[in-house]
Amino acid sequence: MKQTSKTNEQPLRVLLVDETFERAALLKHALQEAGYRIAAHVSSSADLPGLVAELNPDVIILDTESPDRDTLEHLCVISRDQPRPIVMFTHDDDSEKIRAAIRAGVSAYVVNGLQSERLRPIMDVAMARFSEFQTMRMDLEKAENQLAGRKDVDRAKGILMKQRGWSEDEAYQALRKMAMDKGLKLSELSRQIITMAELLI
Amino acid sequence: MKNGMGTMGGAALMAMVPPGVRSAAWVAGSDAPEMKEVRLGFIPLTDCASVVIASVMKFDEKYGIKIILSKEASWAAVRDKLVNGDLDAAHVLYGLVYGVHLGIGGLKKDMSVLMTLNNNGQGITLSNHLKDKGVTTGEALKKLVDGEKRDYTFAETFPTGTHAMWLYYWLAGNGINPLSDVKTITVPPPQMVANMRVGNMDGFCAGEPWNHRAIYDKIGFTATTTQDIWKDHPEKVLGCTAEFVQQNPNTARALIMAVLDASKYLDVIANRSRVAEIIADSSYVNAPFEVIEDRFLGNYEDGLGKKWNDSNYMKFYNDGAVNFPYLSDGMWFLTQHKRWGMLKDDPDYLAVAQKINQVELYKQAAAQVNTPVPKDLMRSSTLMDGVVWDGKDPKKYAASFKVRA
Repeated sequence: MKQTSKTNEQPLRVLLVDETFERAALLKHALQEAGYRIAAHVSSSADLPGLVAELNPDVIILDTESPDRDTLEHLCVISRDQPRPIVMFTHDDDSEKIRAAIRAGVSAYVVNGLQSERLRPIMDVAMARFSEFQTMRMDLEKAENQLAGRKDVDRAKGILMKQRGWSEDEAYQALRKMAMDKGLKLSELSRQIITMAELLI
Repeated sequence: MKNGMGTMGGAALMAMVPPGVRSAAWVAGSDAPEMKEVRLGFIPLTDCASVVIASVMKFDEKYGIKIILSKEASWAAVRDKLVNGDLDAAHVLYGLVYGVHLGIGGLKKDMSVLMTLNNNGQGITLSNHLKDKGVTTGEALKKLVDGEKRDYTFAETFPTGTHAMWLYYWLAGNGINPLSDVKTITVPPPQMVANMRVGNMDGFCAGEPWNHRAIYDKIGFTATTTQDIWKDHPEKVLGCTAEFVQQNPNTARALIMAVLDASKYLDVIANRSRVAEIIADSSYVNAPFEVIEDRFLGNYEDGLGKKWNDSNYMKFYNDGAVNFPYLSDGMWFLTQHKRWGMLKDDPDYLAVAQKINQVELYKQAAAQVNTPVPKDLMRSSTLMDGVVWDGKDPKKYAASFKVRA
């Protein structure tokens, strides 16, 4: 109903609620590049309803796992202030899209009766950045796991050297053969050996 | 999974045992669960105990399923994940399931209630700064709200949920219109106490342990328990989509049976301290054991110096009276949604409740675990204002309240 007050030339204003600073920075940058304005970025808000009323953003984007979502749900149902925010899903019947957004961890609430066609590009940017961040985090975890795995292999080698009186190279070759025979990763087998040793010794 | 303790050393054993053997007995039967694993969401609250215990104490395995617990950060996430199939079932607010079924505030999807999980055990906490003004009761609160003009803020946990309805009912019962006389906001239960501490609210309604926590942290007191608003009121339910029940009736039945077993275990008061210890863990409620235990055992204090043993403490079984999905319980939430303007028109109260509450499936499950079921699909209760709710004329009941939207 207030559509006329906002012409298409005015950039849409986005409120970002995200506790993950790096991810928010990624998204902020991408949204600004795409021509949107960031009304504010808050990590979590003690007074989200007040902030929404004060900033009057067009869209609120936050992590699907954010506890703050219930606060926004309330504004969707009961609000003395008009216009009320609406859950993105109300206007989006594309269930695959919804699923993809949830998987990417993005939830959006639309405030000023924004058309779903205008929301879609914002969602696409947000989902892409959230996914990118997720990949970064997974790569980091993988690297950490690999490091931990290497430590396990060293410990398993040490156990075999001590128990069997093998040299380091002999212990390593034995480990590799055993892992191949059992179809296990070297690190997995090493962890099993460590556990066994803890049980038996 | 990748680095879990379970894979270590278990690999050799697993290689020797053909995978299908353990479940063969169930596959042979006609009521074998369609799914082996059931993803079940919960919110960190004392009343998540029965679903947690069903998994931790392996009542689920008795019925051929494995509950995979998933701790959720918001009711909105529980709803989205149920609707999208990322969760199969959840420990969820009674009113939320009905709200989603009718599409209040957004997402609309046919929903089901498999059973009620608990009665009682929630509360309304008022801030100690109200106590300093001499407000310890609802009547005194009414006088203050009338006499001293400012914004009064009260929090609940989800707009269509149970706590919103208890809070509204209590405020209205004291002559305060929750929609026009005060401001209401939604705050996730684990954040209630922190929000009250920084002065964001005058009061809140939430499940335990958060009311007791407010006393423990010396920032608030219990103005009323919810069992004093409605003795043995329905609270959380085991909820899922209608689609899940249609496609997996045997899994749903097995789930009810497992949770009924856990509910029986929980209502043996001697087991409760142990359960309090289990759920206090950071994987579940994530609150100190001593904050959970007292009210879990019925030992109440109100933070104003009164201590009592509450016989209407949080119940999970009560000889099956807790768990039966009474149609009148579900309809009550609809009457309140109507009262507070979330539903514009009167729905077909009875038809909606009949569709959502899985009475037949529940009865089958109850029969198999020897849980008694009542004859009547409705029950009669007298609420705090002396008004009787028996489910007989929901439209008239919904219209009967003076304080309303």
